[in-house]
Amino acid sequence: MILHIYKLIWNKKKQNFLLMLELFVSFIVLFVVFFNLLGFYNLYNTPRGFEYRNVWSVNYGLPAEIKSRDSIAAQIKILKNIILSMPQVAGVSFSSVNVPYSSNEISNSVGYKGKEVMSSMYMTDQEYAKVLQLKMLAGNWSPSKRRGSTAVVINKMLKEKLFGAENAIGKRFNSGGSEDLVVTGIVDNTKLTGDYRSLENVLFKVLDTVGRDEGIILIRVRPDADAAFESHLYKIVSNFSKNTNVEIEHLEKKRIVRNNFILVPFILVFSVAAFLIINVALGIFGVLWYNINRRRSEIGLRRAAGASGKAISMQITGEALILSTISLLAGLFFAIQFPLLGVGDVSAKVYLLAIGFSVIFIYLLVIVCSVYPAKQAASVYPADALRED
Amino acid sequence: MIRLENIEKLYRTDTIETIALDRISLNIEKGEFLSVMGPSGCGKSTLLNIMGLLDAPTKGEVKIDQQTLTHLSDKQLARFRNQKIGFIFQSFHLINDLRVLDNAELPLLYRNITSKERIRLATEALEKVGLSNRIKHFPSQLSGGQKQRVAIARAIAGNPEIILADEPTGNLDSAMGNEIMDILLQLNRAEKATIVMVTHDETMAKKTHRLVRLFDGSQVQ
Repeated sequence: MILHIYKLIWNKKKQNFLLMLELFVSFIVLFVVFFNLLGFYNLYNTPRGFEYRNVWSVNYGLPAEIKSRDSIAAQIKILKNIILSMPQVAGVSFSSVNVPYSSNEISNSVGYKGKEVMSSMYMTDQEYAKVLQLKMLAGNWSPSKRRGSTAVVINKMLKEKLFGAENAIGKRFNSGGSEDLVVTGIVDNTKLTGDYRSLENVLFKVLDTVGRDEGIILIRVRPDADAAFESHLYKIVSNFSKNTNVEIEHLEKKRIVRNNFILVPFILVFSVAAFLIINVALGIFGVLWYNINRRRSEIGLRRAAGASGKAISMQITGEALILSTISLLAGLFFAIQFPLLGVGDVSAKVYLLAIGFSVIFIYLLVIVCSVYPAKQAASVYPADALRED
Repeated sequence: MIRLENIEKLYRTDTIETIALDRISLNIEKGEFLSVMGPSGCGKSTLLNIMGLLDAPTKGEVKIDQQTLTHLSDKQLARFRNQKIGFIFQSFHLINDLRVLDNAELPLLYRNITSKERIRLATEALEKVGLSNRIKHFPSQLSGGQKQRVAIARAIAGNPEIILADEPTGNLDSAMGNEIMDILLQLNRAEKATIVMVTHDETMAKKTHRLVRLFDGSQVQ
């Protein structure tokens, strides 16, 4: 019977071409959608590598009249001690503007023995790891100048790219081709820029003296820190900053905003894709229904020749499934090129899962869309259908 | 072979009731070639559809080989038609998207037989009607007479005991009509097929064993 249906479809290939093209395009669209969904799911499930809850980010500025480096350091120390003295505060760190979930990003190339990679850079102090609860894998988070080199802590990904399996602690490398850096510690991989961002190379410069450039205070607060405390903190930092603006943000809220910033465009794309799939479903339904009405005499003949209503119904669904299979084979030819050629920094498993989900979705869509037309076909009364022609 | 007992067929709408067949009783012996005649709308095709289990009577019973068939399920009726009955229609009812061989093997698709066996039986049937050289043609490449011969091959491919022909020569000129009639007579003689043929053509009807005339749904001869 399958061969018979295949012959019927093949001999009507011109009439079926548009439907097959529609199914082919749907498969490609679904493949892209599932690929992205799986990609987002995988990114979301990748460990974050730090704890954002109960961390506040305070954007402040030092009064302009304080100019000397020593005065600035002294003022910052005073401010830090004031904040630390509050019972609701568990830790304080100063950071460059690219705090977690901020839209600011700082990156530079780093090199070691001819290898050059781009890395995100964070200028921090010795409390940063404690405030964000970064997981140390080796070495320590201590500021030091070693023979004129700046101490840095790098993440596992950057360590593997620059030093491979070698012990990286104490290794010297350069940033931007000139600045000398020395590795004093290695932390686990972190997703500081958003839950839906892929892991990236990260380098933390651990400064022993922070200055104006480190204009964000990250404060780990205790769970009982409330709005009254926030107001109190605001007043203290404002008094300290004098005429500069102070802004307090919670990393929990910044995370939501940042994730939405990445997700919203994709949600729009998914909505368009969903609209397209609904149109395809209506198209399949319409074509099948039209075919049933056009083929009433054939259905009558098949009934006369011994087909039961169920056999007719199965034939209609079978035809739709064979048409889908032909379209899917064409679509698979293109989709399979991605894992075969290793396109992008994505594992073959993601591509193969996306292909699998798309195939299942198309088959389900076709079965659902053919249920009613197939039922209609099964209910054709043979005597009437044969008389109509 | 075929026994119709007090067959009545009514068509009802909200406002009108039409009697298509009125207490028809008929007994057709095995190997008999019967023709049914009558003016248009007298119920000939309805009678044939009821005999062929394509339509159900409002009243009365259809028996084939002493088996009462009026209460069988859709699946059982389909199986019975497939095994016992072959149909030939005035407008051929060939599937234009299938080649001649595929059209001829259509009833065999609904039997549990291999593709090889289907091809053998369909080819044999096409040989019987003299179309073995046209098996790869599409219906659109055939004349009216050839189309009807394909339809006959389709009807006999499964070796049914009964052939029901609804004006098989109605769309053909007299020469082609005679050719088709000769094939049917040959099938009746050689294969002992029981044939019931609806026709408007008196000369064709005279070639059969028995003639039944209908008028306004009633049997008049």
